[in-house]
Amino acid sequence: MKMTWKRAVVGVFLFLVLFWIETSAAAEVGVTSDSVVVGCSNSFSGPLAFCGTEMVKHGIEIYFRQINEQGGINGRKLIMKSYDDAYDPTRAVANTKRLVEEDKVFCILEPQGSSPVAATLDLEKQKVPLLFPFQGLPLPGRTVFTATTSYPRDAEIVIDWLVKTKGFKRIGMIYQDDQYGSAYLDTALKKLKGTGMELAAQESVKRGALDLSAQMVKLKQADLDVLWIVLVPGPGAMVLKEAKKEGWTKTKLLATGPLTDEKFIILSAGEGEGVWGFSVWPDPVHSQKPGVVEYRNLLQKYVPGHEPNRYSIFGYFFAKLFVEGLKGTGKDVTRGKLVEALEGIKNWRNDIILPVSFSKENHAAQESGFMVEVRKNVFQPISGWQSEKDGKLVESPLGE
Amino acid sequence: MRRITAFHWSIVTAACLAMFLLSPLVLSRYLVFILNLLAIYALVSIGLNFVTGYTGQISVGHAGFLALGAYFTAIVATKAPYLPFYVILPMAGCFAGLIGFLLGIPILRLRGFYIAMATLAFGVVISQIALEWRGLTHGDEGFKVTSAFIGSFVFDSDKKLFYLVQPFAIVLILAAHNIVSTRVGRAFVAVRDSENVAQTLGINLSWSKTSAFALSAFYAGFAGGLFAYVVSHITPDSFSLTISIDFIAMIVIGGMGSILGSIIGAVILTGIQQLLGSLPEIQMLIFGVSLIIFMIFMPRGISGVISSLATATRAGKRLSSEQEAGEKGA
Repeated sequence: MKMTWKRAVVGVFLFLVLFWIETSAAAEVGVTSDSVVVGCSNSFSGPLAFCGTEMVKHGIEIYFRQINEQGGINGRKLIMKSYDDAYDPTRAVANTKRLVEEDKVFCILEPQGSSPVAATLDLEKQKVPLLFPFQGLPLPGRTVFTATTSYPRDAEIVIDWLVKTKGFKRIGMIYQDDQYGSAYLDTALKKLKGTGMELAAQESVKRGALDLSAQMVKLKQADLDVLWIVLVPGPGAMVLKEAKKEGWTKTKLLATGPLTDEKFIILSAGEGEGVWGFSVWPDPVHSQKPGVVEYRNLLQKYVPGHEPNRYSIFGYFFAKLFVEGLKGTGKDVTRGKLVEALEGIKNWRNDIILPVSFSKENHAAQESGFMVEVRKNVFQPISGWQSEKDGKLVESPLGE
Repeated sequence: MRRITAFHWSIVTAACLAMFLLSPLVLSRYLVFILNLLAIYALVSIGLNFVTGYTGQISVGHAGFLALGAYFTAIVATKAPYLPFYVILPMAGCFAGLIGFLLGIPILRLRGFYIAMATLAFGVVISQIALEWRGLTHGDEGFKVTSAFIGSFVFDSDKKLFYLVQPFAIVLILAAHNIVSTRVGRAFVAVRDSENVAQTLGINLSWSKTSAFALSAFYAGFAGGLFAYVVSHITPDSFSLTISIDFIAMIVIGGMGSILGSIIGAVILTGIQQLLGSLPEIQMLIFGVSLIIFMIFMPRGISGVISSLATATRAGKRLSSEQEAGEKGA
């Protein structure tokens, strides 16, 4: 009788151990046997509503829809939860807490905006992966992966291209007086100093200012080879109009990565012809790269008649990269395994941008871009992919 | 039937308060964060109500006072890390109150629409200063706020912050409730209802208006200090014009000239934002339509409706007890 009692105790103990092993293996937050829930706080109203809506609704969600129709990843459907923060950092914090605490999401995917994202960086403390935010600053953290080419890297590449490839001597800059502008200005000054040069002229613009005539008069006097426009589309278009009005013919105008956007061309109302830019994406409307064609087909399948753009292709591309990482975790999905799987991605060919590689030290998905020129209101490539290796500019074929 | 006495009410109130104070033990971090945010927004709308609801002077720049308190707290907590929060927060309130007082002086010369324009400009200027004075405020990079502490205890989580925010909020709400029933509060109401009558009654108009601005700014500045600790990373984008408009909507919906209304408005507006966060189009629609409905059909807001219902109920009871007494007499 005594033996039976002991056996029963051992049996219950073993059962509990096995039950604990089973539940702990399947107990990753946001992951069940048939779904993986991810989420983001984004702008669906406010100044960046267009970008946020395109990125999430016509980018991430259409790709997830396709994956789910094909049976999901290892039998798990992908579910996207998103809340509007209207570019208000306080609401971004509340939304992110809600996603992590209430909705129990597995990771945060593609939130938007420097301020809202910076306000939510304590996710790192909770080991919740923050993947591919739409913003341009390098972000620290073992569980943080950044998306497109950062502002400082964009600035380094463009300075090298202007000085070494084009041989320009007199470079000027008109920049927005904030973190975005400073990132370009500081990098440009540092990079030029390394080549024994300096900016021939620099003029700042307050956020939201549209009258740039005073700055443009001063910049004209500097007799520049190229004027680098570090602004947002509205004031950027004003620079083009002022340049046209003042009869700038000798100076080339150049837009930064964030400004190389179709909205900039539309707002310049035909004055953008011949302007250069730094593009991180192939043209989402005209490019024949297989990855871009696939994106357009998917967009047409799920949202017929909807115009492709740089924001929905961002959403689509980084949803695809997330899925690549998720596949790498195998059947037992955990946050730690996702980070390791992403770090294990090497030369991921995607037929849209240059192959993506991560490592423990490098969590940036993209560090390159190519130069474009506006011709007939379209950004046409004028260089191959430009990237920096050991402080030197490297060019790779565009593959169009 | 036994009558409900004041003793019963105090037991119910104490039980509710105890449940509220114990709620972080069962609620998630997100919900506790929202409760903290609600308390902060309620304090700002009480402040705004002092100026707009009680004194009749519109302010469209209250996010500016919130920003003043938040940045003051963030900067002082960093530059003087030995100062505890219970010293910094009143200082933040007083600093914003002083600025509010100074803003109130030129506003004395203005009327209606022009006051709205001046306060709007104030809010924009404060946000712009926070953006441009990078050496002090870190500009749009944002300011990481040092956590509040008391001895070796650090308020570094939402649940811990609950016990910092809520006691201050309760004390300030009770203080506001008392202020409006004092001579000062009655002077504010007299100025709102008729400046001529107020002057005839011996009320100093200039003093009343500037002190309403100072008191209002004190509340918003104190709330700003709490906001800095709760959000822990502040940027100029946290204090945009939209936030000022949200505060106006809170007092319109909740009820102008009512402390309870300020709290109700803060709860409703923040609740709508959170509940409909995944449906932004509907959220904007509901926000706009409800604002129109309240302004046309319920100009005294929800607290006005509650107070009318309470008056009607009391009148009904009085009538029925009089009838009962009449029947017994007959």
